[in-house]
Amino acid sequence: MGVNSDAAAVYGHKLSTVVPGSVSGEAVVHELADVDLVMKLHYVRTVYYFEQHETIDGLTIVDIKKPMFPWLNSYFPVTGRIRRTEAGRPLIKCNDCGVRIVEAKCCRTLEEWLRVPHSARWRPLVPDKVLGPELHFSPMVYVQFTKFKCGGTAIGYSWSHVLGDPVTGTNCINLWGRLLGGNPPPKSLLPHSARTPTGRPARQAPASATPLSVKQVEPVGDFWLVTNACKMATDSITITESRLERLQSEKLNGVPAFEMISALFWRCLASVRRGGREPRVVTICRHKPRAKRCAQLSNEQMISTVSTSAASPVDLDLAELAQLVSKQQVDETKLVEESIDGDGGKPDFVVYGANLTFVDMEGVDLSGLDIKGEKPVQVDCVIDGVGDEGAVLVFPRGADAGGGSKGGAAVLILPEDQIMKLKEVLKREFDIA
Amino acid sequence: MPRAPFPELSSSVRLKYVKLGYQCLVNNFVAFLLIPVMIAVPLVLVRRGPDEIMALWHSLQLDLTQVLFSVFLLVFVAAVYFVSRPRPVYLVDYACFKPPTTCRVPSATFMEHAWLINWDEKSVQFQTRILERSGLGEETCLPPASHYIPPNPTMEAARAEAQLVIFSAIDDLFKKTGLRPKNIDILVVNCSLFSPTPSLSSMIINKYELRSNIRSFNLSGMGCSAGLISIDLARDLLQVHPRSNALVISTEIITPNSYTGNQRSMLLPNCLFRMGAAAILLSNRRRDARRAKYRLLHVVRTHKGADDRAYRCVYQEEDAEGHTGISLSKNLMAIAGEALKSNITTIGPLVLPMSEQLLFFLTLVGRKLINHKWKPYVPDFKLAFEHFCIHAGGRAVIDELQNNLQLTAEHVEASRMTLHRFGNTSSSSLWYELSYIESKGRMRRGHRVWQIGFGSGFKCNSAVWKCLRTVETLVDGPWADCINRYPVDIPDVVKP
Repeated sequence: MGVNSDAAAVYGHKLSTVVPGSVSGEAVVHELADVDLVMKLHYVRTVYYFEQHETIDGLTIVDIKKPMFPWLNSYFPVTGRIRRTEAGRPLIKCNDCGVRIVEAKCCRTLEEWLRVPHSARWRPLVPDKVLGPELHFSPMVYVQFTKFKCGGTAIGYSWSHVLGDPVTGTNCINLWGRLLGGNPPPKSLLPHSARTPTGRPARQAPASATPLSVKQVEPVGDFWLVTNACKMATDSITITESRLERLQSEKLNGVPAFEMISALFWRCLASVRRGGREPRVVTICRHKPRAKRCAQLSNEQMISTVSTSAASPVDLDLAELAQLVSKQQVDETKLVEESIDGDGGKPDFVVYGANLTFVDMEGVDLSGLDIKGEKPVQVDCVIDGVGDEGAVLVFPRGADAGGGSKGGAAVLILPEDQIMKLKEVLKREFDIA
Repeated sequence: MPRAPFPELSSSVRLKYVKLGYQCLVNNFVAFLLIPVMIAVPLVLVRRGPDEIMALWHSLQLDLTQVLFSVFLLVFVAAVYFVSRPRPVYLVDYACFKPPTTCRVPSATFMEHAWLINWDEKSVQFQTRILERSGLGEETCLPPASHYIPPNPTMEAARAEAQLVIFSAIDDLFKKTGLRPKNIDILVVNCSLFSPTPSLSSMIINKYELRSNIRSFNLSGMGCSAGLISIDLARDLLQVHPRSNALVISTEIITPNSYTGNQRSMLLPNCLFRMGAAAILLSNRRRDARRAKYRLLHVVRTHKGADDRAYRCVYQEEDAEGHTGISLSKNLMAIAGEALKSNITTIGPLVLPMSEQLLFFLTLVGRKLINHKWKPYVPDFKLAFEHFCIHAGGRAVIDELQNNLQLTAEHVEASRMTLHRFGNTSSSSLWYELSYIESKGRMRRGHRVWQIGFGSGFKCNSAVWKCLRTVETLVDGPWADCINRYPVDIPDVVKP
C-alpha cells in the first residue's frame, strides 16, 4: 500500500469555519513576542484516535461545533489572522476570522488504519497547511474530524507554533473537549485586550554572539515554511518500561529519563551518520511546566545546546553522553530572543532541526483530550517544518500511548533514509524495537 | 464674527414661530371656526331668554311624523355609516427571530470565504470595498450551510433554515400573545427566493396542526417589500371575515441563494443579505383592541413595473458562466427615489396635516400658473409621524431616504442599527426596526409609525400604524441582550 493510496483512502473533505461566539472587540491586537517569531516556521500536528463508541459516533457536526463558540471566546487570538506593522513585524489581528474545520471520511476501519506506517498514517488525517502565501487569509488552527468505516473517529489538530508551544496547544484543544463534555466555560482566561501594543524599548544592534541552537534561513516572506533538502519522514519508537528500567539501573544512575533517551538516540544517530555530518551539537528544548487550565498563549520553552567538543558521540560511552546531556546544557534562550530584530521581526529562523533537536514533551497533556469521558486509544504527535538535521520528540513517560504506561516513547522526524538505519542500530545495540 | 450669526439666528427663530403659528391655524381651522360659533350661540340664547326660545320652537310647527321621520333618517344614516366603515385591523403583537451565536459571520470570515471560493482578485476586492462601507456589524448571521467552503445549498439545508427561523419566531409569538394554534383563521407567508412544494405555509400548518379550514396563502417572488404586501392581503381578508385573526410570516431564506460567480452587479446581495424572520398577529376582534399594540391605519402600494427600467432594475438571471444571481442595476437608487415619490404622492393626502397639504397645493398651483422655476415643496413628514422604519436594504437606501424626506439621524437610527446588528434581513427588517424603537422605550400611545419597504418589481410599499398602548421597555425580543450597546457610531469605512 503506497503512500498515495493511504492519502486517497481519506475522502469527502468538507471545509467550514467556526468563529468565537462573541465579538472580541474593535481593533484588538495580540502582539507576538520575539520568541514567538523565532518559532514561526514550525507547526504542531496531532492526531487523536478514538475507538468505535456510540457516544462519539453519535455526535453530529452540530454537536461538535456547538461548544467551539464558547471555546473560542476564551481563546479568541487563535481565530485572528497575521498582519504586519509598518516596519514589517508580524502580529495577530484579533478579527474573529475563525478556525478551519474539516470533515472527512475514511474507507478503512480504525484497526486497519493503525497498521499503516507512522509516516503515512497521520498526514491524511490532519490538514497540513501552513501560514501563507496569503497571510491575511491563513487560519492558524485547523481541526479535522475523520470518520472511519464501521465506527471510530480521528481528530486531527494543527497548531501554528507562532501562537504558543505544544503545551499551550494541547491545553487549548483539551478545553474544547471539556466544554463538549458539558462543563461550564471558564471565566475569561484571557483579558480581552491581551497584549495590546506596548512601547517596545528600542533595541540596539542585534546580539553579537549567534546562538548555536537556531539556524537563520533565507527570508521566507509571506510563506512560512522552509523546504528541506531531503525527504523527511516520521516514525514512532516505544521503549518498554522494563527496558527503560534496565538501562537506567545498568548504566545511568541518577540520570532522568528524558536525558537518557536523548543520549540514546544521539549516539545511535551519530553512528548512522558516521562518515558524513555527525551531530556534534544538539539542541535541547524543554517546556516550562504550566497549569493544565492555563490559557495563556506563549512560547515558553527553554532552548539549550549540548556539544561534544572534539570527540564523536559514537566514541563516547552512553553513560558519559547521558551525563553530558544532563549536566552540560548551555542555555541559549535569551540569546535566541535577542537575535530577533525588534522592529522588523527579522530574520527568519528554524529551531527544530537546525541541529539534531530533542524536545521534552513531558508537560504536553496529550491524554487530556476526552470526548464525553472517552479517551483516545492512540495519539500521533508530530512537528512539521523541521530542518534537515531532524528532531526527536521524547515522551519520557509514554504519554502518546494514551494508556498511561510507564515506558518511554519517541517520535522521530528525520530524513527518510536515516530512520530505517536508526531502527536497525537500536535493535542491534539496545534491543529496542 | 460673533455679531453675524445673531441676526440670522433671530430671523430663523422668527421663521420657526411663523411656521408654528401657520400650522396651528390651518390644522385646527375647523376648531377655530367652530369655537366662536359655539361661544356665540349660547350667548345669543341666554340674551334672548327662555320664553323667546320656546316661542321660536312652537313656530316651527313640527308634528310627530316629521320628528319621527327625521329621527329614523338620522338612525338610518348612522347605521349605514357604521356598517360600511372598514373593520379596524389591530396588530396584537409580533416576534422576530433572534439568530443563535453559532450562525455568526464576522466581516473577516466573510471576506476569507469569498477569497477562497472565488479566487478572482477583482471580485474579492470589490466585495471587500462593499463590505467595508456596508454598515454591517460583526454579529450578523448566515445559515449553517453558508458557513461551508463552498456553501452547501441543498434543499434539505434550505428547509432546515426555514424551519429554524420561522418556527422560532412563531413559538416566540405564541408565548407573547397566548395564541393557540387552532385559533388561527388566516395564514399568510412571504418568502421571495425559496418556494418548495409543499409550500412554507403548508410546512407551518403541518408543524402546528392548524385547522383544516384555515385560509392560507404563500407569496413568493415578490421581493423585499413583500412583508407589507402580506399585511395588505391579511387586512383585506380581515375585512371579509368577521371576528378573525391572521398570522403573517415574513422571511427570506438565504441558503439556496449565495451567488458563486464573479459578475459585480450580482455580488452585492451576497454581502448584505442575512438570516431573519418575523411573525405578526393581526386581528379584527373587538376584544383584541384592548391588548393590541398598534392599529393599521393605511397601506399604500406603488408598483413601477410598467416602466422597463424599473422592471429590470432588480433582476434574477444567470451570468455568462451559468451561475444564478440577482443583478442590481446602476440606476437602482434613482428608480427607488421615483418609486418613493409616487408612493408619497398617494400617502401624503392620507397622513399629512392640512397645513402641509395646503402649502404643497399652493406651491403646485404656483409652479403651474405663476412661475415654473419655484422649487417643488417637499412636505415635512416629521409632522405626520413620530417614527420611521425604512427598509434596511443597504446604507445607500437609508442615506437616500434620509436626504429625500429630510429626516434627522434619530429618525433613521432604527434602520441603521438594524442594518448593523442583523444585516439586510429583507422583508422582516421593518419588524426588527420597530422592535428597536420599542426596546429603546420611544414608543408611546398615540405615536404613528411609517414603515417603508422597497423591492424588486420595482415596488415601494408603505404601511402606517398607530400605537394603542405605550410599550414598556424590557421588551423581550432580538434586541434584548444588546440594546444597551446601541446606538453605535458606524464609521464610513471599516477594515475587517
